[in-house]
Amino acid sequence: MATRLSKIINSWVPENSKVIDFGCGDGSLLKELFENKQVLGYGVEINDLKIEKCIEKGIPVIKLDIDKGLNDFMSSNFDLSIMARSIQCLKNPDLALNRMLDLSKRCVVTLPNLGYWRCRINLASGKMPITPELPSSWYETENIHLCTIKDFENLCLKENISIKDKVFINRSGNQGGLSKINPNLFAVEGVYLLEK
Amino acid sequence: MKIETKLIHFSKGIILESGEKLDSFDLMVETYGNLNENKSNAILLCHAFSGNHHAAGKNDDFGVGWWDQLVGPDKPIDTNKYFVVCCNNLGGCAGSSGPASTNSSSGKVFGKSFPQVSVLDWVNSQKMLMDELNIDCWHFVAGGSLGGMQALQWSISYPDKVKKAGIFAAAAKSSSQNIAMNEVARESIRKDENFHNGDYYEHNVIPKNGIKTARMLGHITYLSEEHMDSRFGRKFQDEGSKVEESVSFEVENYLQYKGEQFSELFDANSYILMTKVMDSYDAGKDKTLVEALKDVKAELLIVGFYSDWLYPPERGKEIQIAAMNNNIKSSFVVLQGDHGHDSFLFNSETYSNLITNFIES
Repeated sequence: MATRLSKIINSWVPENSKVIDFGCGDGSLLKELFENKQVLGYGVEINDLKIEKCIEKGIPVIKLDIDKGLNDFMSSNFDLSIMARSIQCLKNPDLALNRMLDLSKRCVVTLPNLGYWRCRINLASGKMPITPELPSSWYETENIHLCTIKDFENLCLKENISIKDKVFINRSGNQGGLSKINPNLFAVEGVYLLEK
Repeated sequence: MKIETKLIHFSKGIILESGEKLDSFDLMVETYGNLNENKSNAILLCHAFSGNHHAAGKNDDFGVGWWDQLVGPDKPIDTNKYFVVCCNNLGGCAGSSGPASTNSSSGKVFGKSFPQVSVLDWVNSQKMLMDELNIDCWHFVAGGSLGGMQALQWSISYPDKVKKAGIFAAAAKSSSQNIAMNEVARESIRKDENFHNGDYYEHNVIPKNGIKTARMLGHITYLSEEHMDSRFGRKFQDEGSKVEESVSFEVENYLQYKGEQFSELFDANSYILMTKVMDSYDAGKDKTLVEALKDVKAELLIVGFYSDWLYPPERGKEIQIAAMNNNIKSSFVVLQGDHGHDSFLFNSETYSNLITNFIES
């Protein structure tokens, strides 16, 4: 995970908190959070190779299809749930968002922005966007529910989810600049801290 | 690989969960590899229902060990690095005290008078073995099925004595269906005319047909429908290799053969006792499972297999959820497994990597 993104998430995670990371990949973020914030973290992952990596790092992990099993861990009382770059892959992102806020006090969501100007140029030329952030062809991509920054914030509004903090990341991986002025056009990624 | 097999006598005896006492008892123990200087490399393997102390390597009595695919030099549980211990559980019939042993106070074979033991009793007796071997803390306690129940119970009963526990194809308690299957097995043994209400030893017979039928039923529950279909399909058994005249299909021949083989090796009273241990296990008992796991300090690795319908992955997930409620560092992974419930016995790339990574992490 890009250091910039993990730095932002690190800054939002309280020390000694209980964290669940949906789509945790090889467990790198959780390992960082464990080292920096002494969190008790659980990863959720579907890919066996990535799960092996988590176990290798000593990161507890659960093999689970997020689309099917979010309800199972309702009783665990997490301080924070994280879904980095995964929500657009889910069948029901709106339900997942609500479930995450049921099982944890706050949640961090990061998502690629389909409103980014390069995506718009692609679309204007009549093609599905292919950018460094969205590198796969439409028929190969796991991203079945892409949205823009504006779309996502509208969904939060509709679901009564309050945005406690947000950071926009531009093409060079930094915050600020044009992505701060007009994120929907210039941010490649939105990073949100949400609460209900 | 350095293998040592020995019978260890415990003269102090043990008070069982039922309140009954065994004045003294023996455990048949096998160890692999060497205990290091600071005694930090000890691993305990707990066998499943019909297993025994012979987990790895090959010997004349028991052939290839039950977990030989995963235990040995350079294998996932590496005996070059770890000192691996496995014992035949109390009540078994591979050398440890059980129904077929002689009761020292009466001089007669225990038979049905051998007290009913439990998973907790097994764990307590393994703890006595641990003390005997001068091991202070297990680096890893692991087992599949009924063995996984012991690994779970170890982490509950002795939180400071287990660093990591591997709970494979197991459950925190048997289901009604599990109990039902076992009861059919027991009934077939009890109704064998040679059973003599459990005292068949003095009649110099064994209830062979009963054990055979019980094992045939058991065997079906250990495999998956898919595995049986791909292995046997509807193929007919060729005339030359039929073990029974009545057999038509390969699968029938296979079950006949396996049942026959087992009936000559396994004690009928042990079969009944072991299935009762399995049925009666409930990690939660009068509490909830969440409360039962409250003191656990070990890291857990829980593995289930999609093809396992005896202890399906949902049972493992229940343990995982209870563990997470207690902030236990616990992982839960479901693998395909090609062998149904028996999948925990077999090596597969992901399974072995998980185990190695977990032990080494």
